[in-house]
Amino acid sequence: MQRRDFIAAAAGALTLGVAGPARASDDEIRLRELYNKDMSFSPLAEGLEGDRVAVSGFMAPPLKANSKFFVLTKMPMAVCPFCETEAEWPDDILAVYTKRTLKVVPFNVPIVTEGVLELGTFRDPETGFLSRVRLANAVVKHG
Amino acid sequence: MKSTICSALALTLAASVAHAQDLPQAQNAWFTAGQERIQAELAKQPNTNVAKNVILMISDGNGVGSNYATRVFAGQQDGGFGDDFIQHHETFPNLALVKTYNVNAQTPDSAGTGTAMMAGVKTKIGVIGIDEDVVRGDCSTLEGNTVKSMNEIAHDMGKATGIVSTARITHATPASAYSKSVDRNFEASVPEGCDTQTDIATQLIDAMEAGVIDVAMGGGMRNFHADEGGRREDGVNLIERAEGLGAHFAMDQASFEAAPLDGTPILGLFENSHMMYEADRTDEPSLAEMTEAAITALQASGGDNGFFLQVEAGRVDHANHATNAARMVRDGVAFAEAVAIADALTDDEDTLIVVTADHEHALAFNGYCGRGSNILGLCMDIDNEGIGHTGEALLGDDGKPYTVIGYLNGASSILREDMNWAGVRPDLTEEDATDIDYVQQALIPKSSETHSGEDVAVYAKGPYGHLFDGTIEQNVIFHVMHHAMTTEAM
Repeated sequence: MQRRDFIAAAAGALTLGVAGPARASDDEIRLRELYNKDMSFSPLAEGLEGDRVAVSGFMAPPLKANSKFFVLTKMPMAVCPFCETEAEWPDDILAVYTKRTLKVVPFNVPIVTEGVLELGTFRDPETGFLSRVRLANAVVKHG
Repeated sequence: MKSTICSALALTLAASVAHAQDLPQAQNAWFTAGQERIQAELAKQPNTNVAKNVILMISDGNGVGSNYATRVFAGQQDGGFGDDFIQHHETFPNLALVKTYNVNAQTPDSAGTGTAMMAGVKTKIGVIGIDEDVVRGDCSTLEGNTVKSMNEIAHDMGKATGIVSTARITHATPASAYSKSVDRNFEASVPEGCDTQTDIATQLIDAMEAGVIDVAMGGGMRNFHADEGGRREDGVNLIERAEGLGAHFAMDQASFEAAPLDGTPILGLFENSHMMYEADRTDEPSLAEMTEAAITALQASGGDNGFFLQVEAGRVDHANHATNAARMVRDGVAFAEAVAIADALTDDEDTLIVVTADHEHALAFNGYCGRGSNILGLCMDIDNEGIGHTGEALLGDDGKPYTVIGYLNGASSILREDMNWAGVRPDLTEEDATDIDYVQQALIPKSSETHSGEDVAVYAKGPYGHLFDGTIEQNVIFHVMHHAMTTEAM
């Protein structure tokens, strides 16, 4: 409830301007734009399947050194000793297979990665990592 | 409404007092509102009824600072500046500040704090339902050191009891209602050789079988089975066991809505791990919906004996850990909605409602922001000619804008390993900062932002709510609830 409605009314014009869903830039996709709320693929993702796209996010610490694989997360990957017993992958992630051996970017640095969008379940025979959506033949650009 | 009558009376009195003193500010809206508050305080009467029902509502990680952020956010969503908004629990007549430390931790965790609130004794960090004489993780130290929780005490009095959480139902805070565990992480199994306790999920179903817990709803399904996605190493299906005991099992919105609220035991496990953040929620009930269902079911089950219910907004904490204030405040709003429904469904004459947090986080607030600065966005300059901000973002000495909220540590640290842990603040726009996935800038790099030892508030209404006063130790929360529930009628 508002205690001082007369002030609130005067404030209306000044406090508006809440940003809606935004893209990092016109040609970049945010990770969440690939999914619907129920974690099915969005029309945007289905429309871009097979295309080369740029996606913004963060590089989770790679599973192993000298890899050509990493996981893109929408927020810096957190491991919480007082809320989790182990690192838990969020649902909305993107598996990225790079063209060349990966140069690791710290997990707290925003990046943009560009590659060919692949949809559908795939288990990596080398790491066992199960993914539903991937970028293939990707390159990593700093944000 | 009694409060409306009081307000009208207060206005009359306030006007007369101000007139008598003939103060030049007597007609100022702030002045009359202040006078009105004084009259409301003078009209307060202690409620010394026996509390037939007690509801403890914990917003995990929602200290005074986090609560402030949610207040401003809720008010701005409502079209105002936000800072003068009043959340439902902020209407409660009784308030105290709470010291949350654990006996061996200046910075507490939810296991130690949950035990303090639910059993009346402070204990060590990371342990549940046991006192400080245990060694965390050492099962051999458990025996002789267990404590009894509010749910167990209420059950002994013939009351129905329940737990509701948006975290895993085996997570520290809800576990403090039914579990005795030397480690909060023993959610689905105990270490080899540990023969003094079972895992926390098993203890929940044991408590349901014993009739101690009538309603349990939250996340954490994986800890209850060994099928795909399950974590149980013993292969036991605890969900089938609960159903065998006559419990209704719910796992999505439809099965939640189908739950009989006639006193039938209810087990709701809506996610493998934690339930979704409110901002992302789909096909699972809100905290308010679960609270309403739990109260209705417990009223039926407890009858004239009443009930005890613990409600936890578990994900305020997790969003803070992620330095994602946008989700933190949205779960904070969902918590306030749960408080409102709990209040609406009960009577102050026989129900004590206690609203608090278990601990605060390492978040802080920048200045000097003009009014109406989006609590999730940039700190805008003060307008000396008006009330609302100027629309111009204030800049640090590095020439870059900054958000109202910041975190002292976390995964969104501005320090970079590849720069020898030096750092440069990224540039920032209002659009970036108010995005749902934006993580506020943090200083010290850590994979997860930490709790802090700062005080939290406790708000209360109903029988003996007036015993909350001043600055108290966290275990006193139990003692107020216990006194209100067990005292003789006066």
